Amino acid sequence: MAPLLKMRGMVRTFGALRANDGIDLDVQPGQILGLLGENGSGKSTLMKVLFGMLPPDAGTIIFRGRELSRHHPREAMAAGIAMIHQHFMLIEAMTVVENVMLGWQQAGRVIRTAAIAAQVREASRRFGLHLDPAALVATLPLGRRQRVEILKAILRDAELLILDEPTSNLAPTEIADLLAILRRLRAEGKGIIFITHKLPEVLEICDEVVVLRDGRVSGRAPVAGASRARLAEMMVGRDLARAHKPVPRTPGGVRLSVSDLTGPGFGSLSLDVRGGEILGVAGVDGNGQIELTDTLAGMRRAQAGRIVLDGRDITHAPVAARVQAGLAYIPADRASTALVRGMSVAENLMLRDSGSSPYARGPFLTPVPAATKAQKLMTEYDIRAAGPSAVVMRLSGGNQQKIVVARELDRAPAVLVAHQAAWGLDPGATRFVLDQVIALRDAGAAVVYVSSELEEVLEISDRIAVMAGGQFAGEMPTAEADLKQIGLWMAGRPE
Amino acid sequence: MMAPVSSLPITAFKGRAFRLQLREGLAGRILLAVLLSILCAAALVALSGHNPVEAFGAMAVGAVGSPHQIGAALNRTTPYLLAGSGVALCFRAGIINIGAEGQIAVGGIGATAAALAFPLDAPFAVAASLLSAAAAGAVWAGFATAIHLGRRVHEVLTTLLLNFVALLLVQQVLAGPLGQFGAGFLQSPELPRAAWLWRMPSFGAHSGFLIAVVAAASLSFVLWRTRFGFALRVAGSSRPAAAYAGFSLPRLTWSVMLLAGALAGLAGGIEVLGVHRRLIEGFSLGFGFKAVTVALLGALEPLAIVPASLFVGLLEAGSLSMQRQVGVPSALVVVIEGLTMLFVLAATVRRA
Repeated sequence: MAPLLKMRGMVRTFGALRANDGIDLDVQPGQILGLLGENGSGKSTLMKVLFGMLPPDAGTIIFRGRELSRHHPREAMAAGIAMIHQHFMLIEAMTVVENVMLGWQQAGRVIRTAAIAAQVREASRRFGLHLDPAALVATLPLGRRQRVEILKAILRDAELLILDEPTSNLAPTEIADLLAILRRLRAEGKGIIFITHKLPEVLEICDEVVVLRDGRVSGRAPVAGASRARLAEMMVGRDLARAHKPVPRTPGGVRLSVSDLTGPGFGSLSLDVRGGEILGVAGVDGNGQIELTDTLAGMRRAQAGRIVLDGRDITHAPVAARVQAGLAYIPADRASTALVRGMSVAENLMLRDSGSSPYARGPFLTPVPAATKAQKLMTEYDIRAAGPSAVVMRLSGGNQQKIVVARELDRAPAVLVAHQAAWGLDPGATRFVLDQVIALRDAGAAVVYVSSELEEVLEISDRIAVMAGGQFAGEMPTAEADLKQIGLWMAGRPE
Repeated sequence: MMAPVSSLPITAFKGRAFRLQLREGLAGRILLAVLLSILCAAALVALSGHNPVEAFGAMAVGAVGSPHQIGAALNRTTPYLLAGSGVALCFRAGIINIGAEGQIAVGGIGATAAALAFPLDAPFAVAASLLSAAAAGAVWAGFATAIHLGRRVHEVLTTLLLNFVALLLVQQVLAGPLGQFGAGFLQSPELPRAAWLWRMPSFGAHSGFLIAVVAAASLSFVLWRTRFGFALRVAGSSRPAAAYAGFSLPRLTWSVMLLAGALAGLAGGIEVLGVHRRLIEGFSLGFGFKAVTVALLGALEPLAIVPASLFVGLLEAGSLSMQRQVGVPSALVVVIEGLTMLFVLAATVRRA
């Protein structure tokens, strides 16, 4: 059978960086192809080239027997390629059927809502999407919104669907539903490119995997018979060290003491973290985690309670004073809080330390020592960029987060508050971030590690607290972790 | 005068959504935009039945044809350079200050009041008047900032509306304490000679131009090589990141607004001490509004605003002679400025 999609020798460079360096990729009808690779390995670039968002420097794309070249997303869509982005392109104030009609030629010039709604209902039934055409998108959970995107692709007769990390924002049951929908699409002969970091999903749904590394195909294998360890090795090019086992250690004195802290969206909360200890805070997103971490870092005002760091009351201290006192913060919002994406690596490395050596002397910046320092941090933290003056926006998510980690940890803080520090990172970068946090803990710092990824929290922390409804539902040492109990706490049910 | 202001891509008066993001490869894009606007203007001249080459020739001669005309062009450039640099710094910090017009006006009042009230000796009279002008401009910008931060009114509104108050204030003081009795025109008496700016012999260019160039160079240094400039750039790129970095947004807003106000006030003072040697109603001719155009034309980089303001200064200085000699109305220059603004915005500002 002729392949649905045939990409040959795809090359795309950004300056000196070869983001795609001669990639071949085939997708058959009725096949789910897992596209794996660390951040920055070239997956997104390859898909953008396929979808016509970026022109390739070399290579040919044959889709359904016809060559696609110099195309734009409009032509790609007309040819039958649909891309479902990580962040959905839906208008929240409109209904499902209105979003489906949006920008769709076949919907006609005169709006025939009823007819399209019937089509929506029919397709929804056939693929098990459970979508009500009249529902307002704003009222739908993320998993349903994603189905609206899938529905758009189906109604537009897409033969090839590209899903970019489709499960990263979904709850476990939503993931199971999504995989079921994908199976139905496969049964109807659609081709699917499934971009992900998560190995279990690959093993469960994909027929074949292609692994990219440094812009090249580093591995290609049918899934039947491939093991998790083998795939992970293909991805990072080395054996993933298995999660560390907590060594019994004796933590030092209390370095961060929070009592009855209350703010908009959370409280009242109390916690003590000792030096050499990681307190993991698990919980479903949106239960007051951002409010808590921002308040600890001084970006939001506490309404009541006290925060004491190494014996010093910092409850009302401004952000800069907290940094000076030894409080490091890795916020969840990487794109516009932790980093200034339009600025250089060096400028981002000095973001919270711009008042001190080697970045400044008095009121003046000292660019030469700053660049030297940036170069040093880039080497130490393995930040891959063209140089200290490279713009952060151009770097992969992993490299961006390494900048944040380098900046916050290089100060040798007394206390680290980290929120979703490994979110969206590939296994290699996640490992790196976790190892850095563990090393900081081992050096005697107190760490509050907040994440909605339970596995991550279990792996890294010495104690686990679960946050639900803005409060701690419960707390236990990680060594005695009882998953059932944690699940109940997360669900916000009483013990 | 309002047209360039309303063409700014202000997406939200209510929130902080405004972000001015500039593309790379700016110099080439801006030059292209300027070239395009001149081509369009040439087409307009041709449509009106005149020879574009002749018209632009007359304009060039009018701008740089004689030492005196060069001097006049430099004098015209000065307020744009000073006020435009201040506006650029505000924009870099994500603060849309379009109050330069009013700050220039009160700067003129400040300079005049100081020169008339304290008849000092030569160097001190100029220094005192210019300081007073800068202080007046800063105070005026301070009003806008206080309302903006205190009552959460968007700074576009507070700065814009205070312009009209300032222009009326000029009339008020000229009809009262600073006015010349029996002049038949709203103006102050001529200032004492000691307060006049030094003028270059035969060129007639006043020393204000040098002050403006030094100011622009200093601002460029402030922007790129000081902690304050770094904080401004961070705040302009992302408010949450600035808060995370520990920069105080109110303090930054105060600093940059007072600085820009002082520069605009200085521009007004220089206009009074260097060009008119007295305060005249409407002396500002919309310099403060066009300073926004000039700041964008200079890509919000104070050093690049030097050529940008020279461009506008030369255009305007040459426009009268074009009207006299070829009969093309000097208003064409306003058209060129408007077109340049449009093209430059189209070429440089990226949709968020």
